[in-house]
Amino acid sequence: MICMPTSKAGRRYIYRLFPTMVVYILFLFVAQWAFHHRHATGLFIYLLAILPALPLIGSLAIVGLYIAEESDEFERSIIVQSMLWGLGGALSVSTIWGFLEDFAKAPHVSTFYVYLFFWIFMGISQPLIRLRYK
Amino acid sequence: MKNRLRSLRAERNWSQADLAERLEVSRQSVNAIETGKFDPSLPLAFKLARLFNSTIEAIFTDEQ
Repeated sequence: MICMPTSKAGRRYIYRLFPTMVVYILFLFVAQWAFHHRHATGLFIYLLAILPALPLIGSLAIVGLYIAEESDEFERSIIVQSMLWGLGGALSVSTIWGFLEDFAKAPHVSTFYVYLFFWIFMGISQPLIRLRYK
Repeated sequence: MKNRLRSLRAERNWSQADLAERLEVSRQSVNAIETGKFDPSLPLAFKLARLFNSTIEAIFTDEQ
């Protein structure tokens, strides 16, 4: 999904992802504001903390919908392959960093960043995968 | 998988984009299939065969 997709499923993917990211930014600001200005207690803390994660989980579901709706099997194959690279890359980096934290006293990095690494590896791998079919 | 798509296309004077439009896939998909780097599914192979008034075996060959 580096450039604007031409298929209907690809366009639906963009139209779904964009508002989801807007909701993520909104939820993130709400959570940050609430933690700084309100004294949340009990279960509310947990609910507030997971609020920004919900649209991010939704974004993964949107990728799933794209795969389900994309009728072009070649494009579907590219996305599935890039997702595997994304998953592999994110898991590899988080595993390596976990051991670095345990044994080499590397600074702690939030597990939230696994999500970010997934997208980075997925984004980088996609054009490289396409090169194989040129 | 080897195939005769390029010559079948040439006979009809179709570009890869023309074929892609008829198949409702991307031009990259047609190129990947034509160069033998991506094997189409059975439904897409049937669609190709119908489009060229041919059979799957006449278009695709499993020899390397």
